[in-house]
Amino acid sequence: MGSILQVAKLTKRFGGLTAVHDLDFEVREGEILGMIGPNGAGKTTTFNVVAGTYAADSGEVRFAGEPILGLPPHRIAARGVMRTFQHNRPFAGMPVIDNVLVGAHTRFAAGLWSLVLGTGRSDEAQKRERAEELVRFVGLGELRAADVTTLSFGQGRLLEIARALAGEPRLILFDEPAAGLTPPECARLAEIIRGIAARGIAVLLIEHDMHFLLPLAQRVVVLDFGAKIADGLPHEVRANPAVMDAYLGRHASAA
Amino acid sequence: MKNAMVRGLVAFLLLSGAAFFMGEYHNDVYRKLLLWVTLALGYNFLFGICGQVAFSHFAFYGIGAYSIVIFLFQLHLPFPIAVLCGIALCVLFALAVAIPTTRLEGFYLALATLALGQLFIVVLNEGGAVTGGTGGIANYRLPDIFGMRVRGPWYTAVIALLLLFTYSILKRLDGSWFGRACRAVRDNPEAAAAMGVDVARTRVIAFTLTSALAGLAGMVYAFVDNTVNPPIFGIENAFLLLFMVIVGGAGRHAGAVIGAVLLFLLPFWLSPLVGHHQALVFGVLVVAAILLEPGGLIGIWDRFSKSRS
Repeated sequence: MGSILQVAKLTKRFGGLTAVHDLDFEVREGEILGMIGPNGAGKTTTFNVVAGTYAADSGEVRFAGEPILGLPPHRIAARGVMRTFQHNRPFAGMPVIDNVLVGAHTRFAAGLWSLVLGTGRSDEAQKRERAEELVRFVGLGELRAADVTTLSFGQGRLLEIARALAGEPRLILFDEPAAGLTPPECARLAEIIRGIAARGIAVLLIEHDMHFLLPLAQRVVVLDFGAKIADGLPHEVRANPAVMDAYLGRHASAA
Repeated sequence: MKNAMVRGLVAFLLLSGAAFFMGEYHNDVYRKLLLWVTLALGYNFLFGICGQVAFSHFAFYGIGAYSIVIFLFQLHLPFPIAVLCGIALCVLFALAVAIPTTRLEGFYLALATLALGQLFIVVLNEGGAVTGGTGGIANYRLPDIFGMRVRGPWYTAVIALLLLFTYSILKRLDGSWFGRACRAVRDNPEAAAAMGVDVARTRVIAFTLTSALAGLAGMVYAFVDNTVNPPIFGIENAFLLLFMVIVGGAGRHAGAVIGAVLLFLLPFWLSPLVGHHQALVFGVLVVAAILLEPGGLIGIWDRFSKSRS
């Protein structure tokens, strides 16, 4: 299996604080890679560097073989890296289906001039059909015309996922998708994430809830204080003493 | 597509046909109403759909109006060239304002366009023989088109065409990926960028396009009274345009139309009652809209029609 995302020697500092230090990891095509670590471990910083929100101080990020470090977020999205937000960020003035269609922004064929002049064939209907499909896939079919401000938090999270999928990503980044969800919603979310990977889309999942992540991820990277302390299969990581130290404290593992 | 053409033709016949059943005075009021509706549609796209608070719409209307008059009667350019040059001028000014300001927070666009609006009036007043100073330029008329003189209700038909042309462009854009990108940029720029929307580019395009449309409307306006003078293009009217869009319902084409019609006609009914204090009534309407019904009049209509069905 080839790798779709390669991160090498990534370092990011905020003033005197090194949030991520010399980090190496890769996401392979079609896999679910979990990234865990306690609060402040540098997960979200790594996420934001990959998504283009933060610039890095040094290192390299390659997507599908091409360097993407330093590109603005919209260019990274256009290449096929889509993301969800930890705190849902819907477009409040638009119904559910239009929110999802914004996700497909970079996939429309019609140019701006042909829109202004009214020439050329539109792929609007075809994209709308695909968006409807995605809305059904995440289980919001009934709500496709609903005002997004009426959605529950959990439904809003599902909308984030449908919107990201509309961009036809090859890699999708989840920023703590289980945060704030009820246990049944978490189970449903895990099922959706498995469904996404089954479609051949690679998943990078950042999460601090091990109970949600470990059964779901195929491989896990563990961060602590901005550095990688372990990586491997979920059961290996779970048994790793360094991971137990990071999560439970040194005394717990010594006891 | 075909349906849209038929609907457009019917709308054109109705809008322009009405002018042939009006006297000279009512025709004049009607022409200005159509121009206000045209401007409100463009401004609604910029403010209501793309979320950009700009006060330069009337400056671009003025740049269009003055440039066509100056290009035609002082530089003696041929008519089509003069129109193209006028639009090019609006595009250049719009890019010059939009490119530096849209990269900053929205507040700076408001400031920059407010400055542009004020500066434009100063330039007009101090422009000497070129702009005619405070008195503006008069004593010209629309060149004959294919040997025909277009005037009276026929010129009203030209304005109706302008309105429908503006509407068709904005409507097409609104229903496309570009319109959704504009709304996404308005609602949440960071999420829009994560979805692949180039936020700065989207803002610049929306600003430039609506400014060019305002310039085009200004060119048409130049031959309504066959005179252009500074006060028309001032900040007061830019604010009135903002009020029209807010009261009608920002972000909706129908809202812009309703707001423009209402606030344009209201003074005709109000002035016998309150004299020159109509601004007070407008102020109350705007505050009421913002506090009670942010969706504007069209929002009230939506709820009314929903509760009936």
